[in-house]
Amino acid sequence: MMTAAASLLTTVIVYLLAKKLHRHKPHMLLSPLILTPAVLILLLAVTRTSYADYNAGAHWLSDMLGPATIAFAIPLSRHFDLIKKHAAQIIVSVLTGSAAAVASSLWLAKGLGLNEKIIYSLIPHSATTPIAMNVSQSIGGIPTITAVAVMVTGIFGSLIGPPIIRLFRIRNDVARGVLLGTSAHGAGTSKAFELGSISGTVSSVSMILTAIITLFLTPLLIGN
Amino acid sequence: MRYLVKLILQILFFIGLSWLMNRLAEWLHLPVPGSVLGMLLLFILLQARIIPRRFVESGSDWLIATMLLFFIPPAVGIIGYRQLILSSGVQIALVIALGTIIVMLCSGLVAQQVAKRKGGTHG
Repeated sequence: MMTAAASLLTTVIVYLLAKKLHRHKPHMLLSPLILTPAVLILLLAVTRTSYADYNAGAHWLSDMLGPATIAFAIPLSRHFDLIKKHAAQIIVSVLTGSAAAVASSLWLAKGLGLNEKIIYSLIPHSATTPIAMNVSQSIGGIPTITAVAVMVTGIFGSLIGPPIIRLFRIRNDVARGVLLGTSAHGAGTSKAFELGSISGTVSSVSMILTAIITLFLTPLLIGN
Repeated sequence: MRYLVKLILQILFFIGLSWLMNRLAEWLHLPVPGSVLGMLLLFILLQARIIPRRFVESGSDWLIATMLLFFIPPAVGIIGYRQLILSSGVQIALVIALGTIIVMLCSGLVAQQVAKRKGGTHG
């Protein structure tokens, strides 16, 4: 069994190694966001450590998501004039994207024959975790399943985002930020900051707008 | 060394603010997470120049650059859902993957079109 301190330390070390490997072999499947959890799951299995025991130490890292979200205030303030200038463009496209998120997951999940509780759990998957869990709860989903779906969405979005941006020739910095922040919340936003500080800032604004829109629009859109 | 002390103090400021805002959101029964409240509050304080940007800049840059690491523990949490993954994992993965691509195309292409009509790659 791994102790709390060992869990925390192992997570950081595996992450740093995965990041180093990714720099040498920049392959999508070798992304630290896939490789690190995969290696850690294997380690937990080998050392017979339960997730609860692992998380007793590792939760110190996920607790940093709150402070990291607050940190978005600085680039937001740094680039506020730019945000104001592009406010209409950002709002219109985030609205379109958020509505598409709710509609697409509703119809895809129904079409694939998933049961109702899971459908409602998947609907808010593009929003940031606390908001998504809140919406899930209020429309009759299972918040913990929503949390997993949100996490998978973030990882998938930050991996597939850059290829989509290249494939569809999204060259506008604001559009890149909107694309990543609306679809993949915080994880997408940290990817957007890798593309540039303008895209990153627009992405954090889009993430907040998506959260607010999802919170208020979902009950209306699904007629519940 | 001085930079390191400054960085740690700034990160502690973000942790403290996050904790305070979480308590506030709980206390007021707000549906909005404390972190979003904190971001809005700090943004207002920065715009009003009550807090100079350079007092929090290094900590902010570090937190944003390190953010992907903070997603790792919840990602490992997926091992608790073996049953669900075995019974409907493929369908769920499809909903998430296709849904995410649809959202990207809707939001990204609309934003790109609006930008094109206004002209310029940054304008």
